[in-house]
Amino acid sequence: MSELTMQDAKSIIEDQIETLKKRNKEPEWVTELRYKGLKAFLEAPHSDPILNDPLDFIVQDEQIPEIHNLNELPEDMKKLLDSLGIAEVEKKYVAGIAVQSDTSMVLNDFMKAWREKGLVMVSMEDAVREFPAVKEKFMKMFNPYESKLAAYHTAVWNGGVFLHVKSGLKVPVPMHLFFIIQNSAMAQAPHIIIDAEPGSYIHLIEGCTSPVLVRHSLHLDMTEAYIGNGAKVMLSVLQNWPEYVHTRPMTRAIVGKKAEFINTTVGLGTGRSNIANPRYFVDANGYAEMNGILLGNKDFYVDIGGEIELVGEGARGINTSKSVLMDESKVITRGLIKAKAPKTKGHISCDALILNSKAKMETYPGLISEVDDAELSHEAAIGKIREEELFYLMSRGLKEEEATQLIVKGFVDPLLKDIPAEFVIEIRKIIEMSLGGM
Amino acid sequence: MNKLLRLENLKVFVENREILSGVNLEVNSGEFHVLMGQNGSGKSTLALTIMGHPGYRVEGVMEYKGEDLKSLFVDERARRGIFLAFQHPAEIEGVRIIDYARLVLEKVRSVPREKSYDMVVEKGREVNLNEEELKRYINVGFSGGERKRIELLLALLLEPDLVILDEPDSGVDVDSLSLISKKLHEMQRSGKSVLLITHYGRILQHVEPSEVKVHVMRKGKIVLSGHRDLVRKIEEQGFDSLFKECGCDE
Repeated sequence: MSELTMQDAKSIIEDQIETLKKRNKEPEWVTELRYKGLKAFLEAPHSDPILNDPLDFIVQDEQIPEIHNLNELPEDMKKLLDSLGIAEVEKKYVAGIAVQSDTSMVLNDFMKAWREKGLVMVSMEDAVREFPAVKEKFMKMFNPYESKLAAYHTAVWNGGVFLHVKSGLKVPVPMHLFFIIQNSAMAQAPHIIIDAEPGSYIHLIEGCTSPVLVRHSLHLDMTEAYIGNGAKVMLSVLQNWPEYVHTRPMTRAIVGKKAEFINTTVGLGTGRSNIANPRYFVDANGYAEMNGILLGNKDFYVDIGGEIELVGEGARGINTSKSVLMDESKVITRGLIKAKAPKTKGHISCDALILNSKAKMETYPGLISEVDDAELSHEAAIGKIREEELFYLMSRGLKEEEATQLIVKGFVDPLLKDIPAEFVIEIRKIIEMSLGGM
Repeated sequence: MNKLLRLENLKVFVENREILSGVNLEVNSGEFHVLMGQNGSGKSTLALTIMGHPGYRVEGVMEYKGEDLKSLFVDERARRGIFLAFQHPAEIEGVRIIDYARLVLEKVRSVPREKSYDMVVEKGREVNLNEEELKRYINVGFSGGERKRIELLLALLLEPDLVILDEPDSGVDVDSLSLISKKLHEMQRSGKSVLLITHYGRILQHVEPSEVKVHVMRKGKIVLSGHRDLVRKIEEQGFDSLFKECGCDE
């Protein structure tokens, strides 16, 4: 239990709000919203199976030096980016990279060139100052009274990006955004807005990691995605957190008519605990995919919900998860699809491979139809590696460990179709490493 | 002639039920053996036993190159040169044929990674599997004939000393059958030992007839051995009448 009282927390958060206000030279509406978040924090309910006391994460933050380009990054962080294959990716595609280290943000030249064509990717701190449109989008899909953590985010959000794609603009290369926690004392609470205007296309890759073993850090990101009619947005999230990080990603998306939203989360190290409950609203003939690959190890706890509401005629939604459970990890998936309009289609599929008898998997698929001509279905398969497959692969001379790695990599492979090859190689390496110690 | 495989009074139990009841068989290097018999006579069990199926309890002598096979795991047997082309190979979702083949080449035959890709593609061509097909998942959505050719591809890549083929001709079209038969002949010529399980003599169309040894299984035992003409006899008169004739129907 935290030694802080609610009153202590209130004054710490007030200090943080004032610091952020001054540091960012925020417009008034932002600060007002922060205070609204603080008020909600005191009143909103808190229910989290792992974080009993939200006050544990209310801590004084420290000043982080601003970093303006990739060369100014500390040496160990550059190494980290290299090890994640990011330097390679950049070399190959000359793609846009924004690196966020705690709250500072680093952008490269590619971004500057695309700015003129109508692609905006700026830090949220700059965005609230420079783009009036942000006010119409910011915190519109969330209510700070939903929970103490949502309220805390509202009060002290720092970092994150505003991504805006002009109508009809198609960005041919994936954009990369990396969150790196360095300062263990802080709750990292980036706020991300994706605003894809009608007919546009973009693929955003978010990478999350932490180079140091931070103590009890909390990652509290919030994403609001507005996907205009006929637009396509792909959002691939790669998580590789060390043991002590708790992550509570919050995501909401509005998918327009005939628009597509493909969201794939690859949780290779999901942190000590990861609880998420994204919600998408899909308009007529729109399509949303919510895909999750989860690698559970140690005593990690992952609880991934996922709600797709099919609100327009002919909307479709797919919720797929594939979990690999090792050690004493526990994964819970709760996909929910609500059909609220005619001729909608939804499918939930949950597969899990359990590699240790102490690991646990639970799945709770939910299908709700408010109309009589929706097609909703679900399937789930939880099991061990089939002996027949292992025997077949080993019968050509592979050792049990090699055959197991092949099966596990194969198990997740169908969900990696949209991830760039460089990352797929990295993901496979991490899977091999986690299975190596079996 | 080098003794490769020696089975003596081999008994196999699956969940305490006796499936093989004393098989005797010797395969020397370079020999071509054909194993026939009615369904359920124990042919596939014998093949899986030699390969090292983990679910079987084995008694009796089972030696390969003078070494006791019983104490070796399936992968160790494979590394010593035993290969089984399965009758029903497993479907493995997500694992591409080419990735599997390359990993096997790398780990088992120490082929450098930069060479393995071309090797697999080249051998693939020999068994009518193109690059696109090789990038598909193992046996997922493949026809019977394609599956048998995938098994054959792995046999060609691994160059084992003892190749066991469990009904490589069942569910296969005429063209695939001819191709498989030709490949069997190539194996025979290159000095490999072959143990072929089949119901039909047709697969032997390209194989040197004089060098074929034929065995017939019944109720978990080899009850009759002979030469190529035995295959014709089985095809003409069937097993039941053959067993009556030789008095081995008891």
